[in-house]
Amino acid sequence: MSKVVEISPTTRHEGHSKLVLKVNDAGIIETGNWCSITPVRGVEKLAVGKTPEQVPKIASRVCGICPIAHCLAATEAMEASIKCEIPKDALMLRHILQLANRCHSIALHDILILPDFYIPGTETKINPFTAEEPVRSVAKRIQRLREIAQTIGEIAGGECIHPSNPRIGGMYRNCSEQAKIKMYDLAKEAVTLSHQQAEFMIAVIRNYHKRDFVDVGGMKVPMIKELGYHDQGYLATHAFYGSSSLDECPSWDIRRFKEARPYDWYMGEMEVSLEEPRYPIGGTTKIGTKTNPQMEACTGIPMYDGQPVEVGPRARLVTYKYFDEKGTQGQNIAREMEYQDCFYEMIDCIDELNPAGKVVADFIPDGDGSLGWASNEAPRGTDVHIARVKDWKVQYFSMLVPTTWNFATCSKALEGAPWQLAEVIMRGYDPCVSCATHMIVVDEDNKLVAQKLIQ
Amino acid sequence: MLYSEIVIAGCGNPLFADDGFGPAVVEEMKAKHTLPDNVTIIDAGLGGPHFIFTLLDPEVTKKLIIIDIADFGAEPGQITKLRPEDLPPGSYRDAHSWDLTEPLQRIKDKIEITIIGCQPAKVTAPEFELGLSDEIQKAIPKTIRVILESIGVDYGTTIKCLQEERQRGTAETCGSGKTS
Repeated sequence: MSKVVEISPTTRHEGHSKLVLKVNDAGIIETGNWCSITPVRGVEKLAVGKTPEQVPKIASRVCGICPIAHCLAATEAMEASIKCEIPKDALMLRHILQLANRCHSIALHDILILPDFYIPGTETKINPFTAEEPVRSVAKRIQRLREIAQTIGEIAGGECIHPSNPRIGGMYRNCSEQAKIKMYDLAKEAVTLSHQQAEFMIAVIRNYHKRDFVDVGGMKVPMIKELGYHDQGYLATHAFYGSSSLDECPSWDIRRFKEARPYDWYMGEMEVSLEEPRYPIGGTTKIGTKTNPQMEACTGIPMYDGQPVEVGPRARLVTYKYFDEKGTQGQNIAREMEYQDCFYEMIDCIDELNPAGKVVADFIPDGDGSLGWASNEAPRGTDVHIARVKDWKVQYFSMLVPTTWNFATCSKALEGAPWQLAEVIMRGYDPCVSCATHMIVVDEDNKLVAQKLIQ
Repeated sequence: MLYSEIVIAGCGNPLFADDGFGPAVVEEMKAKHTLPDNVTIIDAGLGGPHFIFTLLDPEVTKKLIIIDIADFGAEPGQITKLRPEDLPPGSYRDAHSWDLTEPLQRIKDKIEITIIGCQPAKVTAPEFELGLSDEIQKAIPKTIRVILESIGVDYGTTIKCLQEERQRGTAETCGSGKTS
């Protein structure tokens, strides 16, 4: 008889999500539901009535991991709606910014997944924070790659977290000749590092998937060859950047897109009937707890050609580079393969960039209310923003973020895997569920803190 | 190097009303003040823990000043200085590390960390709302003064006068932010 197990919250990714799994007697997942439990916040509503300049700034604040992708996608959706073509040098700066963002994200994802893996040839799991070799030098390399990516992002985008340089019609300013050389030098350093890093990661990932058993919180779990396999198909709109026009790049067609309600997709109310206190961190949900993915899931189910699809690094490599590895292994390897490609592409873009060229369009129309869309290949996959601008006011705005695409696809990919490995499959998608406010709440120390009040 | 000797980071989300205090202070400082070369000032927005706190090099960065909102039971707009030790668990949690670590706790012995917290009037999460409340808006000049003081930038005679007045026990006259 099937049992229900719940892992909540899931760890080592951004945001708040949970896994509800219906498993058989052998612990194999029959039906898996991965759902976001971060409340919907209605950015669409907030954007209406604002100027197109404001909305990309707003969009960049919905997420702390890919603000760059959201900022660029929103900017280009506005430009698509008002039909504004930007100068080539502005586009190059945006490309560089986009690639910097992706490289930082891959490095970060390496840290997240490393604790699942083993040092090849040993039974030791990798702790990225240990001071011992060989892990220490890997951690240092990751940090250097993150630093390089952020520095290049800062030069091209103005600021490295929420970029200030992109604007409707191009970029506010071009970079100096000196800054161009600096970006070039950094990218060249990173090419070597990313080669080393990708080689290390691919070796570690392959080693993990070749094992017969893996350890999860002291449990010996059989590794299956088809971990994370699904038949849902892929969606990618560009190998590196994105597109906002079907003529320029016939990749994302709004007419093939539809959205289903979570109510029609997820499982209904159930009671948790399997509990495992050894599961990291802190065990799974207690037996008897009610769970209701249908009502708790906070995202819609986007469909392309009538079914959920996978977006992300593997989708990009399958679509543009004839990549054919499947499952979680293929996904993680695809991400590592993008590493070096990103820096090579970045060097090409820096070569193309003319620091003396203009970066703002000569004419920026006010918009006639036509629908514009822009897809941006964010680190986690296709990020589509849709906008309608009329007389320099936003009438409609919508964001279709990468992990929303992947929720339903990953739920399918969970089927057939031992439930203890569900999080490993989920992490392969590098989920970025959402960002929320963080407020410091100092309750218990009220007195102590009040004394330090600055008058 | 990405970050310099002194790093000032404004944290928070402007889409949740007063949570945008940190970024607003940074914006104001960037617009109105010329800071020394050894100071990096950055709108950390939502990315503080993973984009900044985990990327600081203690060999280079000696001082980190974080500007954020904090609920410490005071009147809205009041500000306070906190140390990482004063923070309750989870304030700056890096969701991207493997054990949900608190990056500030990891670096606090190597880098001097000051958190300047402002009591918010309203934080609208999960609903979006733009704009700071009046009380919080008024706290910005005062916060900037405190920051400049702690990084040793001379801000005219104001800071000195304020300090002298405070020592004389007339602190209440300085709390309104009118002197800025």
